[in-house]
Amino acid sequence: MTRLRRIDAVRSEFAEAAERHLDDVHAFLVYLTGDRALAEDLTAETFARALERWRKFDPRRGSARAWLCQLARSTALDHFRAEERRRRRDGRFAAGEQREDAGPVFGEGLSPELEQALARLSAAEREVVALRIVLELDGELAARVLGISATACSTRLSRALQKLEKEVNAGVAA
Amino acid sequence: MSPLELVGDFERIAQELRASKPGASSALRERIAAFEPPEPRTAFRPPSRRLVLALAAMALLASFVVAGVTGLGGSKESKSSGASSGFHPTLPVRKAIGSGAARSLGPVAPSRANALAPTAGRLQRYDATLRLRVHDVDGLSRATQRAVSLTRGLGGYVGSIDYATSAGQRGGATLVLRVPVANIQTELDGLTDLGTILQQRTGILDVTRRVDREAKQIAQLERELADASPQEAPAIRSRLATLRAKHARLVRSARLARIVVGLTTPPKQATVPPSRLHRTLDDAGSVLVRELEILLYALVVAGPLLLIGAAGIATARAARRRSDRRLLERA
Repeated sequence: MTRLRRIDAVRSEFAEAAERHLDDVHAFLVYLTGDRALAEDLTAETFARALERWRKFDPRRGSARAWLCQLARSTALDHFRAEERRRRRDGRFAAGEQREDAGPVFGEGLSPELEQALARLSAAEREVVALRIVLELDGELAARVLGISATACSTRLSRALQKLEKEVNAGVAA
Repeated sequence: MSPLELVGDFERIAQELRASKPGASSALRERIAAFEPPEPRTAFRPPSRRLVLALAAMALLASFVVAGVTGLGGSKESKSSGASSGFHPTLPVRKAIGSGAARSLGPVAPSRANALAPTAGRLQRYDATLRLRVHDVDGLSRATQRAVSLTRGLGGYVGSIDYATSAGQRGGATLVLRVPVANIQTELDGLTDLGTILQQRTGILDVTRRVDREAKQIAQLERELADASPQEAPAIRSRLATLRAKHARLVRSARLARIVVGLTTPPKQATVPPSRLHRTLDDAGSVLVRELEILLYALVVAGPLLLIGAAGIATARAARRRSDRRLLERA
């Protein structure tokens, strides 16, 4: 009986967290991967992991959103590593793989210049932009998600934004 | 300056990014909503800090209790020898001087009214030894002075006094007193008031017959002297003088009793054995000190290994972070 109650409690808490933070986690993964389909898969994988580890989540250590973003990043990194291993094994390189162009990736209403500028950023630059600008996490939280210091996070964001603006301006000029 | 302010067109870009934030599809929502929580596993859960603190407190308490109940193997046995702590000297029984009607008493139980009274009408040599304990050095001084004044007040005199103290804490005095036999009872009563009786000995030697015999010998010699020739007279006179002196000493000794009074302060207190609580605290302290020694030893031995391990973990984390960064740069 208690066991069932516990399962129900987990299901209820998790459903609430998923409802509240699904868009954020998905957006973060879209920015991180630059691939909507992959981001959907990784989002599902992230929430599957979150459900497995839900009992380990301690709200006193941080918000559920930051915890889910950490988990999403870890999931994405695992995917990237696996992909890299696969490509090495298959003798192919990332540059050789072309994604099918399926319209805007980073948002429906984005200007083409900004969409292209974001695509030209690295995943490391996009993830800090996603956390600080799109999800509006504060510096401390974003740094915690990225596993770096707040100062390093701020520096990384500054460089990413400079590059983004430069790329946008270059796109506009073209 | 905020890093966000470094970019002039930042606000416009930020608004555009937020406004176009990609949302999850309904298919993804349904997919995630279909997730079922796994069955809870009875996995090992590390103890919480409170539990660890409570366990540590219980271990400490248990070590106190165990140390208190059983003691340690190396604990010091401090058994008190209560029976021997007191000082009960036993003087050898003095044999009576002379023989015949003399009576001799050995050490008697400390009691105030135990002194024997001389027999009226008889010549008796009275010899008493009294050992008393006074509270402290001040009491020793007062008792000595009172014994002297008491003796003089009863017509006696002090034969000798040996008074000594040590470091102002311990001391002793031995007084040899001579008092008229008629006042011996008063003298002894007064002396026993000076302190606690540790030992008392009384000896009485009846010398009446000896005095009579010497008196007869003296009378005999006087008669012989009266009838002696001029050649014999000096020898008889010499013997008579010797006998008279001896007789006088005997009579005098029968008139003045000899009392030896020993006054002493309490012996130095034996070390009080520590109480059970103190022993428990000592033992528990020893346990804790031993545990700390073991912990320190373990730290000394394992410290370098722990440092190497910590450095390895930190290096691995840093390498992982760099690897992640490179991976994201390439992605």
